[in-house]
Amino acid sequence: MIAAIAAILQSATPLIYVALGGMIAARAGIWNLGLEGLMIAGACAAVVGTKQSGSAGVGVMCAIVVCVLGSALLWFAIEKLRAHPVIAGLGISGLGLGGTDLAIQAMYGNEGSVHAPRSLPQLGAAAGDFAGCSVLVVAMPFVVAALWVLLRRTRFGLQLSACGEHPFAARSVGIDPVRMRLVALAIGGVLCAFGGTELALGRLQIFSTGMTAGRGYMAFAAVVFGAMDPIGTAGAAAFFSLVEYLGIKGQLVFGNAAPPELVLSLPYIATVLGVWISSRLRGGAAALSELRDY
Amino acid sequence: MSARLFPVARALAYVAIALVACAIVFQLAGYPSAGMFAAIVEGAFLAPHAIVHTIRWAMPLFVTALGVLVAFRCGYFNIGAQGQFYLGAIAAGLTADALHAGPPVLVIPLVLAAGIAGGALWALWPGLLRVLSGTDEVITTLMGNFIAILALAYVTSGPLKDGSGSGEVAAARPVADGLRLSTSSGVSLSILAIVIVVGGLMWLLVDRTAFGVLGSLAGRNPVMVVWQGARSGRIAIGAFLFSGALAGLAGALELLGPSGRLLSGFAPTLGFGAVLVALVSGLSVSAATVASVFFGGLAAASLYLPVIAGFPAAAIDIINAAITLVITARAWPSALRRRASASS
Repeated sequence: MIAAIAAILQSATPLIYVALGGMIAARAGIWNLGLEGLMIAGACAAVVGTKQSGSAGVGVMCAIVVCVLGSALLWFAIEKLRAHPVIAGLGISGLGLGGTDLAIQAMYGNEGSVHAPRSLPQLGAAAGDFAGCSVLVVAMPFVVAALWVLLRRTRFGLQLSACGEHPFAARSVGIDPVRMRLVALAIGGVLCAFGGTELALGRLQIFSTGMTAGRGYMAFAAVVFGAMDPIGTAGAAAFFSLVEYLGIKGQLVFGNAAPPELVLSLPYIATVLGVWISSRLRGGAAALSELRDY
Repeated sequence: MSARLFPVARALAYVAIALVACAIVFQLAGYPSAGMFAAIVEGAFLAPHAIVHTIRWAMPLFVTALGVLVAFRCGYFNIGAQGQFYLGAIAAGLTADALHAGPPVLVIPLVLAAGIAGGALWALWPGLLRVLSGTDEVITTLMGNFIAILALAYVTSGPLKDGSGSGEVAAARPVADGLRLSTSSGVSLSILAIVIVVGGLMWLLVDRTAFGVLGSLAGRNPVMVVWQGARSGRIAIGAFLFSGALAGLAGALELLGPSGRLLSGFAPTLGFGAVLVALVSGLSVSAATVASVFFGGLAAASLYLPVIAGFPAAAIDIINAAITLVITARAWPSALRRRASASS
């Protein structure tokens, strides 16, 4: 049981970080569909940085720089060029997927994957079932708690939420929603960098093209499912990982009676059900198209 | 500049900006960008048979984009064209396999109808969820894509598995030769005729029917349309059904035309490309013809680049993504705007 929790925690952590990044942006009024691209860019930068420097710390810094720059680009397209947030987000996702592919080929030839010489620092054998959990897994609950405090108990967090919920009201008390969204996206970029880093350097120490496999989009769904609340979002992301874990376990029990494709599609089906339930509970997530002030 | 031409000029300007940005990125990544773009133009139009490849990709892009365009016009962000395309292809493939011995004159329309039905059904459930529960269609259609990819993988490795082949990609049994609408080149009179007829019908639907006009109004101002007594739920379901049906038709045509069999993960970027075509054309049917040839050319070039010119195909993905990022932009960057007003 404890081992199962540890396994789910490990596989959920990348998703949770990225979902938290999307949650912050959503609170400020930007539905960030670029999470997929930011996540894979973070994973790629972390592995490349680690490989070039030999230090995982440098890898994390590279991931943060790349993800914050990508978020700033999305902010520029949405707020300065007034592009549609959903489409511009898909563009960022495409740039991340294609850009990492191109970067890997430009740097290392046609391998399609890169190994990192070292991983993130991990818990030792003394941690029992939790041995092998990286520092980012350990930090995750604290990050969730910190974000909850930030958003619910600080002036900055409330101003941020005001920019998403009622930009006009925010402006009337002297807050600049456009600038707040840049800050929110930048924080989100850092969280996406953590998610990508954990995905690539947590257990695997490898980057391969397309390795996020839609996790960024699932993270986005977790934001909606989790009602833009830090704890709710993290819980939704953990739930998606739980479904994936149970699917794989079910595969071991039932063998080929359950086709592997069905098992693999369970998280996506759970996502649809989750979004559907949350829309029924909250009388429609018309938010996506009607939230914005233009 | 006239009000009608301004959005077109703006879209073209943003495409140009995206291409220049890509050129800079390619140069920084160590690829000669002039050579890269020359290779893309060559792969799209100049190389032998390049035009055929371009038209081969332009046709499914055009048909799928027509569906995306109808949904977008009505204000629904159906970005699940890829999944609807796959489900259409799966339905068509199952029908073609079951009826492989029948007379082609009867079976081909049935297969196409199955494709249309499959695609429409895969768009129906996000539409119903949207209308009945207000569930956001961006997420449901996006998740539908991933489920459809797995469904195709299941069908090609399970029920329709081709036992003879030993390729790395799971492939279904090939469609009977009599049912094929084209050779693997993908361009034939029958497919061209179907595409042109569908294009004409969709132009009529969008521009000349109550559904098309009301739908476009609903997309711009849903509240007003409801107040005027139009049934917005019906328009929404119609938008989703048309959208899925066209993607499904494209899937069936892909099966009976160039592909000849279901392959796991075939034409993986078609749905995304169709969204781009619809947006670049400004949601206009006539402009979509030109836009689909442009993106068809890029698709043809993405197969040409790595094989002949030795450039990574990811370059095309980056160009597509860069255009996506800015194509919906409604403002000029302030620096550009200042220069424009200074010069005027």
